[in-house]
Amino acid sequence: MWKNQIKITFRNLQKHRAFTFINIAGLAIGVASCLLILLFVGFEWGFDRWNPNAGRVLRPVAEIKFGGNEFKLAVVGSIVGPDIQQAFPEVQAYCRFRQYGSYLVKRDGDGRQNIREDNALTTDSTFFEVFPVSVLEGDARQCLTAPNSIAISRSRAEKYFGTPQMALGQTLVLDNRERRQVTAVFEDLPPQTHFLADFLLAMTGNEEVKNDSPLWASSNNFQTYFLLRPGTDLKTFESKFIAFSKKKINETAQRMLGADISVLEASGQYVRYHLQPLPSIHLYSDLQVELQPNGSIQHVWIFSAIALFVLLIACINFMNLTTARSAHRAKEIGVRKVLGSPKSALIRQFLSESILLAAFAVVLAVAVSALAMPWFADLTNRPLRMPWGSPALWVSLFAGIGIVGLLAGVYPAFVLSAFDPVRTLKGDSGRQSGNARLRSALVVFQFSTSIALIIATALVYNQLNFIQQKKLGFQKDQVLILDDAYGLGDAVPAYKTEVEKLPAVSAVTVSGFLPVPSNRNDQTFSTVREFREDQSVNMQFWRVDDDYLKTIGLEMAQGRFFDPAQFPSDSSAIILNETAARLFGFGQPLGAKVYSLSGQVSGAPKPEDFIELTVVGVVKDFHFSSLRDNISALSMRLGQSTGLLSIRYQAADTRALLTALEEKWKQMAPGQPFRYRFMDDAFARIYATEQRLGKIAGIFALLSVFVSCLGLFGLATYTAERRTKEIGIRKVLGATTPGIIGLLSKDFLKLVLLSLVFASPLSWYFMHKWLENFAYRIPVQWWIFPLAGLIAVGIAFFTVSFQSIRAALANPVRSLRNE
Amino acid sequence: MIKTQNLSKVYRTEEVETTALNAVDVEIKEGEFVSVMGPSGCGKSTLLNVLGMIDSPSSGDYYFMGEEVGRLSERKRSNVRKHNLGFVFQSFNLIDELTVYENVELPMLYTQVPAAERKKQVEELLEGMNIMHRRNHFPQQLSGGQQQRVAVARAIVNRPKLILADEPTGNLDSANGDEVMKILSQLNAQGTTILMVTHSQYCAEFGNRIIRMLDGQVVTENLVKQYL
Repeated sequence: MWKNQIKITFRNLQKHRAFTFINIAGLAIGVASCLLILLFVGFEWGFDRWNPNAGRVLRPVAEIKFGGNEFKLAVVGSIVGPDIQQAFPEVQAYCRFRQYGSYLVKRDGDGRQNIREDNALTTDSTFFEVFPVSVLEGDARQCLTAPNSIAISRSRAEKYFGTPQMALGQTLVLDNRERRQVTAVFEDLPPQTHFLADFLLAMTGNEEVKNDSPLWASSNNFQTYFLLRPGTDLKTFESKFIAFSKKKINETAQRMLGADISVLEASGQYVRYHLQPLPSIHLYSDLQVELQPNGSIQHVWIFSAIALFVLLIACINFMNLTTARSAHRAKEIGVRKVLGSPKSALIRQFLSESILLAAFAVVLAVAVSALAMPWFADLTNRPLRMPWGSPALWVSLFAGIGIVGLLAGVYPAFVLSAFDPVRTLKGDSGRQSGNARLRSALVVFQFSTSIALIIATALVYNQLNFIQQKKLGFQKDQVLILDDAYGLGDAVPAYKTEVEKLPAVSAVTVSGFLPVPSNRNDQTFSTVREFREDQSVNMQFWRVDDDYLKTIGLEMAQGRFFDPAQFPSDSSAIILNETAARLFGFGQPLGAKVYSLSGQVSGAPKPEDFIELTVVGVVKDFHFSSLRDNISALSMRLGQSTGLLSIRYQAADTRALLTALEEKWKQMAPGQPFRYRFMDDAFARIYATEQRLGKIAGIFALLSVFVSCLGLFGLATYTAERRTKEIGIRKVLGATTPGIIGLLSKDFLKLVLLSLVFASPLSWYFMHKWLENFAYRIPVQWWIFPLAGLIAVGIAFFTVSFQSIRAALANPVRSLRNE
Repeated sequence: MIKTQNLSKVYRTEEVETTALNAVDVEIKEGEFVSVMGPSGCGKSTLLNVLGMIDSPSSGDYYFMGEEVGRLSERKRSNVRKHNLGFVFQSFNLIDELTVYENVELPMLYTQVPAAERKKQVEELLEGMNIMHRRNHFPQQLSGGQQQRVAVARAIVNRPKLILADEPTGNLDSANGDEVMKILSQLNAQGTTILMVTHSQYCAEFGNRIIRMLDGQVVTENLVKQYL
């Protein structure tokens, strides 16, 4: 019996090739979309789960609202780790990270050839206890205990020394001055880790830790992880931790502000700590000073929903086409019933058909996914691969065949098997072919989804476009940024002078602080010589030179920019942005005094610990962080910050300029890597996640429209077929070709328009939510909805009209004779 | 073999109620060849469908081999059907996707006849019907006469006790029609009971009794001349 059924299935598939193609292609697209997205989602969920301690590692994070600013920080003070371990016996170990940016690295005695390395962390000796990656050479417990020791990854060991064995005991020179001995080589961290580390520098002897304030929340620079003893209840520990942190913050408030924390809280300001479980950091944490840009649970849900919708659309095609075309199967069903087939056997037969079809689709989908994988990995920016060896893949593929087969096949199976044999054998099956209203509802579902995706894509693109076009308050175009300017050492001023002489260059500034991702530093300022909460503003505090304004293209709102040649007193001058001036409450900011601590102060600061700065200018607000956030307070002071060198130029020939810059660099900083980027690129990179979202939404919108149209095409074919006689009679009675095309297309277009009605409010709601991520955003434009509808109607009309025109042009004599 | 009492079949739509069979009493004995005649819409085919258990009566009793079957569940009816009945239709109703061989084999799949036995039976039958050379062809590749012979072969492959034929020659020319009638007569001669609906007096006379119907009722029952 099975053989007979499979035979019939194959022959049916072969006989109706167009429908087979529509069904298999549609399902394959749906399954491939699902497979790719599920691999991505699985990858995202799997972050840090390779760590056998994942269930008992927690990270403290801080939420601070103080001095007009709000911070959500992934870092805490260096004292938090030791304090907690001392207070709670259930803490087995703590491990801190301090990220000091990139290093220029070379082997000891290796001339002047430096390589820039980004993935370096300064960390405690407990690193391998908390993050147990395998240590290939050296002692995991001891390797980071001695000052100036360093553990390196296998790939870096191979890069610098050939093999891990050869690396052990060797010396690396960092930034041309710091010598560190390789005490361990560890296996490269799995890609699903929320931080990157190829170099682990021992924290032992770290000056910053030595000098750091013993008070919580007075400085926050260390990512910290607690490893709890097995069996510790996380919830209980977190509540104990929160209670303990409140006590510590109160101490800070009393020491620094001379007041109880409750006074601060009464004015709406706060410092709060809580704990994040290690596995949820990647998807749920989006704080300031993360070690790496994390993933987003929102995007994971969006992508999953999109995948599911594309798959559903494909399954609906199968349901609609199979039931719509059931007339073709009616005779077979009737005969089988007469010959004694029970209904259950027919249901089994049709289900096995849909499962077989799903199996074809899944095989095709796997092939398509494997081919598309490199492209998809690039799109999602994840090292995704087809996990051929994973039993989970095969189990889910088989499960997928079953689920898709059942999802698509159950409804048609029940409709078909319920046919009345008496009527089918008389050739009357037209009125039995399932519920036409349900079919229409399913088409509406397909098109609602497609239209919603079109609308979402359009809005994402508009928002990204808005960001690109927005007046930012600085000129991001035609600025080159040279990285690692400190590689020039003392030659920075000389290099700057040389570059200024180039004819294409109009201005050069040396500062690590730029309105694109770069150094950040915040500090609290007060209008009096003490930190009174009503007089204090916590703000960005940037060191810049006197060419900063014209190089970056900022504008002054009041006063002037730094000019030490004319005003020697500018060494104690400060420039605020408009937001800072407003937060201080200055009616007339020019000439106003602000105070800040001159260095590390232990204990409550005394008036003489403060330095006085005079406001000489107010710069117009400019966007120095993402447009997701409001512009916050910022100040600038003249000073040395040699991380980056920015060059404003007139680009007639960028290549020639770069060559000239590199030549001069090589002369003045031989052996130091010459690395540059363009400020507009650096700016665009801030929105890489959104751009990816836009691209993915766009691609899947296209796919869903395509698959929906495949289905519509199939239904139109069926309708034209079914109405052949009607069309013949109408033509004989004088109907025109356009009249008939209109007649056949009208019903479908009505469905697509109805879909627009459903899709509009839904997509409006969700896109409104998404746009709320941005402090600066476009309104949800009304015209996008009719436009999306128009596009969908256009595509649907094109799809349907192909069949309608064919039907309308057919010779009525033939269609009537056939009847 | 067949006995009905007050057998009625009423079709209802929202507004119209059509009585297709109105208190029909018929009796057919084993080995008979009964033809049913009457104008279009008189209820012949409905009678055939009800007696063939592919449709159920609205009221009245239907005894098949002494057992009441009119009120059986679909599953039970289909069980009785596949073991005892064979059908021949005017429009052949062969499954287009199956070959001649597979079409004839199909009923035996439902009665779970072993493969070797199936092969033997199908080949014997096809041989007997003179269509063995067409065994691997699909129905569309055959002439009408050949298709109907395949349909007859399919109807008798399980050696049913009763064959129900609905206008078996309606779509055939006279030569092919004659051939099908001869086959049916032979089967009857071998002991198979046959109930045939037809418009043709000529075909009806191949049987031994003619039931005439009008407006859902049996109006006359006559023996065919040679049996008078």
